[in-house]
Amino acid sequence: MQNTSECQLQVRLITKQDIYAVPDVPLSVPQIIESKSLNDLVNQLLNESSSDFLKPKDFDFLVIGELLRVPLIEHLQERNISTEVTVDIEYIERTPAPDPENSLLHDDWVCGIRTLDKWILTGCYDYSVNIWTTHGKIVTSLKEHKNIVKAVSWLDETDLSKGFVSVSHDLTGILWSWEPGTDNVSPKAVLRGHERGIDSVGVSPNSSRLATGGWDTNLKLWSTSLEDEGEPAYKKIRGTNSLITKTPLNTLKGHKETISSVNWVDNYVVCTASMDHTIKFWDAELCGIKNEIVGQKAYLSSSWSPLSNTLLASSADRHIRLYDPRSPEGTLCKTTFTSHTLWVSAVTWSKYDQHLFLSGGYDSGVKLWDTRSPKAPLYNLQGHQGQVLSVDWSNNKYLVSGGSDNSVHIFKNKHVN
Amino acid sequence: MGNKQKHLKRSIKEVNKKGNVNSDSDEEDDFMNIVNGEDIDSSDSEREIEDSEDEDNQPVEEESEADSDNISNNDTGEEVENEESSEDSESEETDDSEEADDSEEKEEGTSSNNEQTEVKETEKRNKLDKKQSKNKQANRNFIVNNKRENKPESTGNASENKKDEYDEHDTSDEEDIRNTVGNIPMNWYDEYKHLGYDWDGNQLLKPETGDQLDAFLKRMEDPDFWRTVKDPQTGQDVVLSEEDIQIIKRIRAQKIPDVTFDEYAPWIEWFTSEVEQMPIRKFPEHKRSFLPSRDEAKKVSKLVHALKMGWIKTRAEQEKLRAKKEPQFYMLWQTDDQSEEMRRIHKHISAPKRFLPGHAESYNPPPEYLFDAKELKDWDKLKNSPWKRKLHFIPQKHDSLRKVPAYPRFIKERFLRCLDLYLCPRAIKMKLSIEPESLVPKLPSPKDLQPFPTVLAIEYKGHSDMVRSISTDKSGQFLLSGSDDGTVKIWEVNTGRCLKTIKTDNVVRSVEWCPNAALALILVASGQEVLLINPHVGDILVNSRTDTVLKEAPKSNVIINERVRTTVQWAEPEDSLYKRGVRIILKHFKEVSQVTWHGRGDYFATVMPDGQNRSVLISQISKRRSQLPFTKAKGLVQCVLFHPTKPYLFVATQRHVRIYDLVKQTMMKKLLTNSKWISTMAIHPGGDNLLVGTYDRKMLWFDLDLSTKPYQTLRLHGTAVRGVTFHKRYPLFASGSDDKSLIISHGMRFVTKSPHRTIKASGKPRIFQ
Repeated sequence: MQNTSECQLQVRLITKQDIYAVPDVPLSVPQIIESKSLNDLVNQLLNESSSDFLKPKDFDFLVIGELLRVPLIEHLQERNISTEVTVDIEYIERTPAPDPENSLLHDDWVCGIRTLDKWILTGCYDYSVNIWTTHGKIVTSLKEHKNIVKAVSWLDETDLSKGFVSVSHDLTGILWSWEPGTDNVSPKAVLRGHERGIDSVGVSPNSSRLATGGWDTNLKLWSTSLEDEGEPAYKKIRGTNSLITKTPLNTLKGHKETISSVNWVDNYVVCTASMDHTIKFWDAELCGIKNEIVGQKAYLSSSWSPLSNTLLASSADRHIRLYDPRSPEGTLCKTTFTSHTLWVSAVTWSKYDQHLFLSGGYDSGVKLWDTRSPKAPLYNLQGHQGQVLSVDWSNNKYLVSGGSDNSVHIFKNKHVN
Repeated sequence: MGNKQKHLKRSIKEVNKKGNVNSDSDEEDDFMNIVNGEDIDSSDSEREIEDSEDEDNQPVEEESEADSDNISNNDTGEEVENEESSEDSESEETDDSEEADDSEEKEEGTSSNNEQTEVKETEKRNKLDKKQSKNKQANRNFIVNNKRENKPESTGNASENKKDEYDEHDTSDEEDIRNTVGNIPMNWYDEYKHLGYDWDGNQLLKPETGDQLDAFLKRMEDPDFWRTVKDPQTGQDVVLSEEDIQIIKRIRAQKIPDVTFDEYAPWIEWFTSEVEQMPIRKFPEHKRSFLPSRDEAKKVSKLVHALKMGWIKTRAEQEKLRAKKEPQFYMLWQTDDQSEEMRRIHKHISAPKRFLPGHAESYNPPPEYLFDAKELKDWDKLKNSPWKRKLHFIPQKHDSLRKVPAYPRFIKERFLRCLDLYLCPRAIKMKLSIEPESLVPKLPSPKDLQPFPTVLAIEYKGHSDMVRSISTDKSGQFLLSGSDDGTVKIWEVNTGRCLKTIKTDNVVRSVEWCPNAALALILVASGQEVLLINPHVGDILVNSRTDTVLKEAPKSNVIINERVRTTVQWAEPEDSLYKRGVRIILKHFKEVSQVTWHGRGDYFATVMPDGQNRSVLISQISKRRSQLPFTKAKGLVQCVLFHPTKPYLFVATQRHVRIYDLVKQTMMKKLLTNSKWISTMAIHPGGDNLLVGTYDRKMLWFDLDLSTKPYQTLRLHGTAVRGVTFHKRYPLFASGSDDKSLIISHGMRFVTKSPHRTIKASGKPRIFQ
């Protein structure tokens, strides 16, 4: 065949961002063009078209729904696309590399992390629940639990004053109330009902209910209201310092091993990932299994995206899998993301971008992914010295991860719309 | 008397009148005729002679035959020729008139029955005969049928034959005897002059039939003409006797033909119609007899149901169906290729082929095929058992093909061959070739056998010396490890976090988590002591309950025997130890190398390799008691195991594994390992499979149901195998060795249940390194 370097391809550059639009004309580019040269090309075109475009921008190029990471011809050949037609290349502003912002040093391993606004809530192996600001200032450290705190969660994603919840291996969870900005934190209610350690907690989107799962393989649903629910009086008295003792509204049995992750799909559906190789969707109203995904490996973490209505699940075989529970059987797993070398212990969607997500593994790596680029992550966020146990990207500005090096690393996301 | 009969009577009377008119001197003629007839008869056959003799014997018959009349006619013919010729015209006239009469009769008798017409016909025929007889010559048929003339009056006259031969045995069968042609249409003889054959094979000649005139004359002259009929068998005219007439009359009158039959005999009532006032039998009718029969009702209802459903068809319906149904024809030979199917032999098995002739059969065989003296002697020796000979012939050498003689045994051998083929029916042998390998299920690819670990995921760092023993709790949340640094550590499996470190005073050789989920206990063999430790992880409730259970030692006044007491002593821990979690201490007299729990978590066994006959000890927590199950040392005990469900104890000595029934206190089995030194063993949770690791690099897989020899011997490791274990659920087992490798094998045992036996097959283990 002819020399591939000489060959030209017809491409059309398109974008959905109007400010970066270039003339919609087919261009001839060399087959082996890479994203870097394409980027130069776009910048050049933009420069020509508008005079006020001063600073060159970085773009990423989407060809057939996937980011261009190899020479264009290879990318096309992999997907069996004919090179004789005009190829549409969509370019988007490249997600900029997050900058390391801060490191919060704890006394022990950090297991659960949730951010909201500028507050970071962490659960720690030294039995404490801590509230930090993103600037690295500790607000308060609460040692109410008697064992490892495995997971924490804000009760309301929009309202800090609602407080938060923490679950622990001491078989209880605690509902806390907090006056935002102060160290005025008090435990309000104790969730009692699990027989073994609780590993995961999830709050429903309307903040009215909690779901917890743990080593006793049961999923338990709780009400978040701090009011007395007309429970028998002796239960109140049993709490040590006027804590309300809450009992589960419902116990959903079905898993055979520990539930490692709990997510609310909507107000009525809970999704759990378990070490017994299954992901189950529960109807919280009817208290039954709605759907089930059977995998090959123990699931360690999962995350549901309401933006794309898909589920990410990470498992012990180093892969992160993207599931679409609505798609028919057999094609449930849409994409597999493989880059971690050890167990992927934590995965979380970006709350604001339907393509981006963050994962952390026992190989001490935190990776930023784009679902359109399944082969390689966008960025590896270095910094951890041990296993990464938890990651969070609730606040679009901050990529937060905690691990067995007793620290929480905060990376700043520069690309904020 | 019916109308018809009247009619017949009348017609007969008419005939009589005519006859009387035509033949006045019949009776005189008769006598003369018979005499004459005798003369003529003499030239005929014996039978006829006899007949004529019979005739002779009855010369004074009242009713003579028409034939004899004819004869008489002939005899007198010349005399009355002229008269006859003159009469011819007359007779013709009368014929006409008669015919007119006949037609009248016919009109009258259209309603008359068959018998009447028959009689009429006979009359007609007789008329014709009479006419014809006029032209006839002397050699007329004179065979006389005197059968009907057996008059009782004549018997008196008979001199020799007092009885007529047909008198008593008058059956229709015997009537036909005179003609032997049988029951054939007599018109077959129309063209011949004879009618058949008599008993001797002689022809029965047809009687000369006269012309119309003869018949007419006969009718006129013969008074018996009206009672003359023709015998179809012989063609003879027969004059019916009075009795015959009587019978005919009676039949026509629709009376019983037999005169003697008494129609009005007194009635004998065989079965009375009277209703008896008293029962015939002295006991009453059974109640059952008044009830409708249920069995019959069932049958009836069945039939009714069948009728309703249309399963049974009434005769009318069947008729209708039959009428509707088209006749089913089929082509016998539809097409050429189909005729093949109709062959009687469907699967032809060709005869086995014969061997082609070899060099020995040649007319000029190479010299080495020719028999030398010794071979010839051997040949002769086997004379009495020719089937033992290598060849069934002696190779012969001929100079040229021309000199080859005829093969003397050719016919014989062909015959034998045919006999072979005939006597040994060939059959197609259905043979299934099943390879034993094909029965074994295909090995799955390693990919399908996931999940099993392929890479090192987590390292549990913390021990400062070698880790001798590990154990996981039942849920898999925690890992227990015992090390030479004297510590026992509890780890969180998922993260590798050390949750707890318990310090002991000695080298920890063996640890095991209690299999009972209701007890939070770990068993630690540390030096000469065995410690029962509450790890204080997991369920708080269980932990506290375990503590309370173990707090108070049960008081028992069982005297512990000396042997046990010198072996082990139960002790309560000191406060410092109690705080560490130690609940019970068992102080042994020798170093403990292994501890193992029973499946229910109450008993545990400890092994002291140096303990001689006290090396295995079984202790019970709930009673705080120990016992020594064995009195004799069978060898250096390496390892013991409890069966997961049954009360069996597996004891591995240096070379053998013995299985003891703890309830019956007997040895059940001795597994032969055929290896030098057993290091460890593990039992499948199902309890049927035992895995034994040895220091001589082998791994032995015993199927306890199968045999005492290893089902599979796996030489996977390069050095001594130190540890083996089964997966709880998956068909996987793992082995660790001194060569720093861990091998996970896949071993599936397939059990097929059949009523009589259990068949087991297995795939080979797969190795993943």
